[in-house]
Amino acid sequence: MRNILSQLSLLLIASLLLTACALAPPAPVDEPAAAAPSADEEKIIYLGAAVSETGKFSREGRDTRQGYGLWLDWVNNEYGGIKVGDDRYKVELIMYDDEGDPDTAARLVEKLINEDRVDFLLGPYSSFLTQSASAIAEKYNKIMIEGNGAAEPLFERGFQNLFAVLTPAGNYTRSALQLLAEKGAQSVVIAYEDTAFPTSVANGAQHWAAEYGLEVLGVETYPVNVADVSGIMSKFKELDPDVFVGGGHFNDAVLFIRAAKELDFNPKAMVITVGPSNPKLIEEVGVDTEYVIGPTQWEASMSYADDYFGTAAEYAASYEDLWGEPPTYQAAESTATALALHLAIEQAASLDTDSVRAALRSLDVVTFYGPINFDEKGRNAGKPMGAIQIQDGEILVVAPSNAAVTELNYPAPPWKDR
Amino acid sequence: MDQLLQALVSGLLLGGFYAVMVLGFSVIWGVMGVINLAHGEFLMIGAYMAWGLFRFFGMDPFASLVLILPFMFLVGYLLQIVLINRIVERPHLMTLLVTFGVSIAIANLFKIQFTSDPRNVAVAYNGSVQLAGVTFPIVKTIIFGVALFIMVCLHLFLQRTRLGKSIRAAAQNKTAARIVGVDINRVYAITAGICIALTAAAGAMLSPTQAIFPFMGPPFTLKAVTITALGGLGRIPGALMGGMVLGVTEIFVSTYVPGIGTNLGVATSFILLVLILVVRPQGLMGGLRPIDAEAE
Repeated sequence: MRNILSQLSLLLIASLLLTACALAPPAPVDEPAAAAPSADEEKIIYLGAAVSETGKFSREGRDTRQGYGLWLDWVNNEYGGIKVGDDRYKVELIMYDDEGDPDTAARLVEKLINEDRVDFLLGPYSSFLTQSASAIAEKYNKIMIEGNGAAEPLFERGFQNLFAVLTPAGNYTRSALQLLAEKGAQSVVIAYEDTAFPTSVANGAQHWAAEYGLEVLGVETYPVNVADVSGIMSKFKELDPDVFVGGGHFNDAVLFIRAAKELDFNPKAMVITVGPSNPKLIEEVGVDTEYVIGPTQWEASMSYADDYFGTAAEYAASYEDLWGEPPTYQAAESTATALALHLAIEQAASLDTDSVRAALRSLDVVTFYGPINFDEKGRNAGKPMGAIQIQDGEILVVAPSNAAVTELNYPAPPWKDR
Repeated sequence: MDQLLQALVSGLLLGGFYAVMVLGFSVIWGVMGVINLAHGEFLMIGAYMAWGLFRFFGMDPFASLVLILPFMFLVGYLLQIVLINRIVERPHLMTLLVTFGVSIAIANLFKIQFTSDPRNVAVAYNGSVQLAGVTFPIVKTIIFGVALFIMVCLHLFLQRTRLGKSIRAAAQNKTAARIVGVDINRVYAITAGICIALTAAAGAMLSPTQAIFPFMGPPFTLKAVTITALGGLGRIPGALMGGMVLGVTEIFVSTYVPGIGTNLGVATSFILLVLILVVRPQGLMGGLRPIDAEAE
C-alpha cells in the first residue's frame, strides 16, 4: 500500500511539474529603451503589443510582428514620424511574447499599460488572444487596434476601445461557398477548433451554406493543439460530402490535408482557413496542397492602393525587401492596423484617447489593404473577403470576381488520381 | 460495421506507436526508478533529426533510424554517466527535478536553434491502401510494423542476452546484482542509451504524421505516464497492451461521440489514468512491479 501511495504521489508531482511548465513566466522579448525624460528631446509615441513568438501561433505571430515592423521602419525612417499638429513624433513599439497563452497575453498588456506606459496598443495574433488582451485594454481605457482577431464575439461585448481592420470571421467562407454552390456543390462538412475565431468561421460557414443551398452533413470540433484529426476525417469520409470546411490555424491545415490523403477522404473541394493563403504551407506540405481553397483577407495581386505604401504589389515588394519573404495576409493586415492608428492620430491631431477614438470612428480611407471604415462595434464594415485556390503551386485569387485572377478548379480529383 | 472496423484498425495502429513511444520511459522507470520527465523532449529530438536528414539530405525518416539509433544511444549513455547516475539512488524528487530541468533546457535550446515554426516531413508515400473495406494509412502501418519489430528485438535482448539479463537483474535487486559482479553504473548507462535511442526512434517515425516543434514533448510524456500505469513498469507486453488500450479508446471516443469527440479523446488518457490508479494500481497486467524496493 505504501508503495502504491508513493507511486501515486510521484505521478501527482510529475503532472504538477508539467503544468508548471506551461505557467512559467515569459521572458521579455524586446526591452524598451529608456524613456526620454526631457521635453527638449525627440518626441516619441509609445505603442505596445503582446504577440506570439513561441507557442501555437509562432508562425502567424511572426508575420504579425513583421507587419508591424514594416510600418514602424517606414514611419520612423521614411515618413519622418507621425504628424500631430505641428510636431513630428517618432514611434517606439514595445513587443512581448505572449506564448500563445491568453492569460500571459492579458498579463503582458497590463504590464505594457502600467509599467511601460504605452500610449496605444496594437493587437496580438488570433481572436483567442485578442479576447483576453482587449479586455485589459478596455479596463484601462486604452485604445487597442488590431488586425488579427476576426471572431464575432469580440465585437459583441460593447467595448469602446477595440477596433479591427479585418473582415469579421463570420464572412470568411462566404465568397468561397458562394462560388462552390455556383459550381454545383451540394453538401458540406465543417470541422473547427473550439476557440473564438474558428467558432465564428464555422457558424458563418453554416449560415452561408444554408444561404447558398448547401446541405450541412456534419459538424465537428477539436481542441487547441490537436495532434491528430484522423478521427474527424474518417467520420467525414463516411458522409461523403462535396465540400470540406476546416476552421483552424496554420498547423491544423497541415493536419487536415495530411489526414484526408492518408484516409483517402475525397471531398470535391477543401476550404481551409489561414493555412492555404500562406506560401509556407506549399513549402511544408508540397503538392498535396493543390486544389485547396482558402479565404484571404488580402493578396498582393488585389487592386487596392494608397499614398503611403503604394499599391498592394508595391507593399509586397517593400515587405520582401525588409524581411526576405513575401507578405502573408496576416502581415499585410498588421501593417494596415498600424497604418489606421497612424492616420487616426494625424486626423485627431492629438494623443488623447478620446480624440483618437473619435477619429477612428470617423475614419473612411482606402489603403493598400482595402477600404477601412469602422462600424459602431469597431469592425471594418467596408471590406469584402476574398478566396484563393492553390493551383500549380501558386496562390491565385478566385473570388470575388472583380479581384479574381483565374477560374476555380472544381471538382478536385480524388487522391489516387493525382 | 465498416466504421467500427476502421476505428479499430486506426486505434490499433495508433496503439502500436504509443507502445514503442512508451518503451524508453517505462524501462528507465522500471530499471532505475527514474521518472524521465524529459521523455517527450527526446522524442522531439528524434523528430527533428529525422526532419533535418529528410530536408537537407533527402533521407527517408525510416531509413534515418540507422543513424539516429546509434547517435542517440551515445547521447543517452553519456547523459546517464554525466548526470543521471548521480541521482539514481537519491530521493525521487531529485530525479524529477533533474529530468524536468533537462526537458526545459532541451526544448528551449531547440527553440533558439530552430525557432518554433512547425516543421513537416512530407514523404511521398503518405497515402493509403484499401484492404477488405478498411483504409490503412501507409505511414502509420509502417510505424506499426517497425514498432512491433523493435519490441520483439528488445524483448529478445532482455530475455536472451547476458547484458539483457544483467539489466533485468539490476531492476529486480540492485544489491544482489552488485554482489554477483554486475557493474551497475555501466548497466544503467547502457539501459539509458537503449531507452533514449528508442524514444528518439519513435519521434523520428512520428515525424511524417504530425508537425514538429520544440514544445511538442510534454503531451507525450503525460501519455507515457498513463500507458506505463496501464501496462506496468518495464514490461514490453504491458507497454504494448497499454498503448493499444489508450489508442483504441482515443479513436473510439473521437469516432463515436459526435461533435466533441476529438476533444474527449485527449481527456480520455487522463480519465483512464485516474480510473486505473483507483481500481488497479498495479496496472492491468497486474502483479509484477520490477522496481527496486530500495529506491522507494
